[in-house]
This record gives sequence, structure tokens and C-alpha cells, in this order.
Amino acid sequence: MAASISGLLKPWTPRVCLVRWARYNPYYLEPEVRKEAYSRPEAELSPEEQEQRELKAHRPIKAATSGVTSSLFDDPVLSKFVNMIMKDGNKVLAKEIMTQTLEHIKRKQVEKYHKAPEGKKEEIECNPYFIFHQALENCKPVVGLASIQKGGKFYQVPIPLTDNRRRFLAMKWMITECRDNKHRRTHMYEKLSQELLAASIKEGNVIKKKHELHKMAEANRAYAHYRWW
Amino acid sequence: MAASCARTVGSFLGKCGSCSSSISAVTSQLSRQVLSRQICVSSALRRKNLAAAGPEKYTMEYIKKQVEEFDIGKRHLANMMGEDPENFTQEDIDVRVPCCLCGHPDQVFPKQRAIQWGEDRRPFHFLFYTGKQSYYTLMHETFGKILVIEKYQDRLRAKGLLTKDIKQISLSASRWLKKEELEELLVENISIQDYNRFIQLMESLLSMPYCTIEEEFVLRYRQNLEAQSRKQAMPVLERDERGVAFSTADGRRKTSDSTVTLRDCGSGRITINGRDYLQYFPVLQDREQLMFPLQFMGMLGRFDLECTVSGGGRSSQAGALRLAISRGLLSFLSDGEMENMRQAGLLTPDPRVRERKKPGQKKARKKFTWKKR
Repeated sequence: MAASISGLLKPWTPRVCLVRWARYNPYYLEPEVRKEAYSRPEAELSPEEQEQRELKAHRPIKAATSGVTSSLFDDPVLSKFVNMIMKDGNKVLAKEIMTQTLEHIKRKQVEKYHKAPEGKKEEIECNPYFIFHQALENCKPVVGLASIQKGGKFYQVPIPLTDNRRRFLAMKWMITECRDNKHRRTHMYEKLSQELLAASIKEGNVIKKKHELHKMAEANRAYAHYRWW
Repeated sequence: MAASCARTVGSFLGKCGSCSSSISAVTSQLSRQVLSRQICVSSALRRKNLAAAGPEKYTMEYIKKQVEEFDIGKRHLANMMGEDPENFTQEDIDVRVPCCLCGHPDQVFPKQRAIQWGEDRRPFHFLFYTGKQSYYTLMHETFGKILVIEKYQDRLRAKGLLTKDIKQISLSASRWLKKEELEELLVENISIQDYNRFIQLMESLLSMPYCTIEEEFVLRYRQNLEAQSRKQAMPVLERDERGVAFSTADGRRKTSDSTVTLRDCGSGRITINGRDYLQYFPVLQDREQLMFPLQFMGMLGRFDLECTVSGGGRSSQAGALRLAISRGLLSFLSDGEMENMRQAGLLTPDPRVRERKKPGQKKARKKFTWKKR
């Protein structure tokens, strides 16, 4: 199989060997899996998008990974979360935990819905995917701290975070919180659902952690000018 | 007549065959002469010997003679074959005489420049003494174009007509000429630094907003790229006894091999190694991967799949099947849909395989514990 791939075209080779994706030539572009991106007609696109289409027509594309599909039920944020829960490559178990979590959230919310008086029924959100996204949004920190050395001492300097980094931190805090700080006899899906429901209404330990980080950043505001990028 | 034709053609072919051997003979002879003459020789003589031992230079008259002989040989060949000697092209020669190793003399002898100086031994080109006259003329020309664009921009700015949104040159369908191609164009050797400098200058030309006025000049140094979708191999669409259209395709991923037959029945049943797909792939992710190409095209319930797969693990078998299904689907699709599938990453075989363990390391990447001393 490797012999058939040796016909990759190489107009330029990087001087530094990339660690991730070392099998693909950097000339290859990322695949676009969603169906909506291909249904838009030519006239609707802006010049940049037309340029992008033109470029894609002439460049080879990487293969789509085995975790993504064009189905409506495929959520990239959810897939990332499942990958972060996964241990030792056991994706089956991680996916199982996630589905059980979502089911548990749904059950709890439906219970609350049936118990609520008539006026309050519309406010209760029963869609577990919506609750999951809401919880993650609430957990995302706005600024982070970086350890910068100046004059022999290390200062914690507040820095802006990229979108990816914020999402990663929110998910990481959620999972570590559930693994470490809960009662050991409860199942992971129970712990996760409790924490996600709490985070969606801005309560719970993860939200507290985010606020503490923001307070630290506010306290170290004086060192903000140590950042040079 | 036939004998004389054969003799002429034979002599021409023989000459072409012998010229390559003669070059090597001449150079080895000359190098032997140089080596034997190294002891007790004055500096002037040594300089002359080194000049003589240089690469074989073909004079213009020699090449013209070769071209004439080639044309005569071609006409004789056309007469022998019974073809029209006027319109006998190179492709016809390749078809009739496939073993003919030499083509037109322009391809056989390397392109070299005519003598660069006149009767009075003064060079024609003003940049001759730089050593790289074509390269420096090109750079000079490019910079001239940049100045022209700047002047144009200044004129527009003076009139107040300077706008930012002008149609830029479309560069996504082409790439810069490679160093070798540029050398061929200039008939001169250039170094890597020279080439990079040239590309830098062209990029700075393209960074100006009104570079479209020099579009023709820029496109002269760009090579057109072929559209990737034309490189796909489509499987054959066959029909069986009942008139149902079907196609067969293969797919590979890691160490798994798979073969899939898509039948246009309309039932949507999938059989893998004789078993039902629900039984073969209990994990949802693998079944999603099987359905991915069909769902992307919106043809979920239309096809009947008969698959065989071997080797690898559960995920790689699913990946191999997905590739085979996408390939099999190509014969039922139009060109635009095929391009969409390619851009979704369904038609690229995944090159990722298990990385080998290296000596001196624990695993492929994990190193042994680092000890300071």
C-alpha cells in the first residue's frame, strides 16, 4: 500500500519535519465534509470563497478521518469531547459514556418538565445537545495566564486565548473535575450529567474554577505589558 | 532506390547512435591527456588544456546539418511506409519505429546559446560580463514592470481614481516555474539563491494592487496546474443478466483489503463476508463510515452492497470499505458530484500506517528515560 502512495507530487518540501500528520505532504488540503458547503451556487459566493474553490480544484485533498461523517447527527465539538474522555484508544467505551450522559440529562430534564407548573414548562430545556453546548460555552475562560520570565523572576501574565484553546480548557476542566472531585461509587455518566446541568445554569465547580482564573488575571493586570505578542 | 533510402536512414540513425558513444570517448581521451600532461607544464598551456577539456560544444552549422539530415531521413521513412512525406509528424515516427531512440535534433542536442560576441570579439549583450546575462536581464525587466505599475498607480492617485477593489490575477490554477524549468527557459544555469530572489521579486510585483496590467508577463513564468479531478480512475459500469447496473471497486486502509459490488437494485441491503452489516459491525461508528459516501450523495436506500473484507482491525476494515464504496459510486455520478466527493476526502486513500519502532527508542516516538549523567 505504501508503494502506491509513493506517487505523491512534491512541489515544495518543508525544511522542518512536522510531528503531526507526518504522512501527508503539506501540499494536501483539509477535507470539507458538510453537505451544505457544496449546495451553494456559484453566484452566492464572495470572491475569496471563489478563489478558495479554484484552489481546491487544483490541490489534492487529505482523506476524511474515521470519526467524521456528513450526517446531521455528527457534531465536531461532541467528537472532540468523546476523544478527550477516551483512554487507551477505547473509543467504544468513551462513546458509550457520552450517549449515557446525554440520555441521563434528557431523563432528568423530562422529569423536571413533568413536575413543573404550567407557566414554567416552556423555560425548561429538554434537548441534551443544547444543554451540552450551553454548558461548554459557560465554562470557557476569556483570558488565560502565561508564565513569563523577566529579570530572573517568573510572572503570571494575563494573555488572550484562541478559540481552540478556550474550548480545550473548558472540556479539560469538565473531565478532570468529574474524574477527581466526585464520589468514587457514582458512574462517570452520572457525574458528567450533574456537572453539565450545573454548568448550563452557571453553577458548579467548573464555573467556579473559571471565575478564579479570571480573578487571578484581573489581579495580575499590572503585568499585562510583559506580553510581547 | 530502396537500398539508397535504407543506407541514408541507416547512416543517420547510426550517426545518432554513435554520437553519444563518441562524446564519452572524446572526453575520456581529453581527460587522459590532461592527467598525463600535469607535470612540468607552464600556466599558459595549462589554461589552454582546461579549456579544451570542457563539454563538447556543437557549432550552429553542425546542428543545422543534423536537422537537414533528420528531415531527409524522415521523408525517406515516409516514402518507405507509403505515407505522405509532407505531413509525416513525430507521432507517426514513434508509432512506426518505436525503437527509434533519438528524436528531432533539437531534443537530442542540449539547447545552447549561439556565440555571444561578434567579429571584433566584443559581446553583443551589455550584461555579458556579469556571467548570467539572461538572468539579470529578466530581473531588470521585472523591476521595470514594477516601476511601470508604480507610475500607473501614482497617475491614478493624482486623479483621485485609486480604488482598492480591483480584480486580482487568478493564481490558484497555476504554480511558479521550477528552477529547472526556468533554467531551460533562460538557457543558462542559475543558483538556488538567484531563483529564490527571482520568486521574491515576482511576489512583490503581485503584492501591488494594480498588477493586473502586467498579467501576461507574470503568467509567462507560471505553469498551469491540471485539475485534480481528472486524475481519478473510474470503475466500469456493467449490466448483469437481469439488466441491473452494477460496478465493482477495491479499497485499502492500513492492512485491510476490501472489494465491493454496488448493485442499483433499490433495496439498501449490505452484506459483508456473507453476514449482515449489523452483525459484522456492532459498533455504530463503523456503520456510519459505511453509510458516509451514500449519505453524502443522498443515495442511501438505492444500492445493494455485496462486500468482502480481510485483514486489519475493525476500524481499518470500515475505512477500506468506505473507500471501495466511494470508488464504486463514481460510475453512477456526474463530474461535479465526483469533484464534491473528492473535496469531502472520500476518494483519497489514507496513507497513515503504523510507524515502525526505532532502535535506541522504546517505541516509535517514546524515548528511553533521559539521564543527565
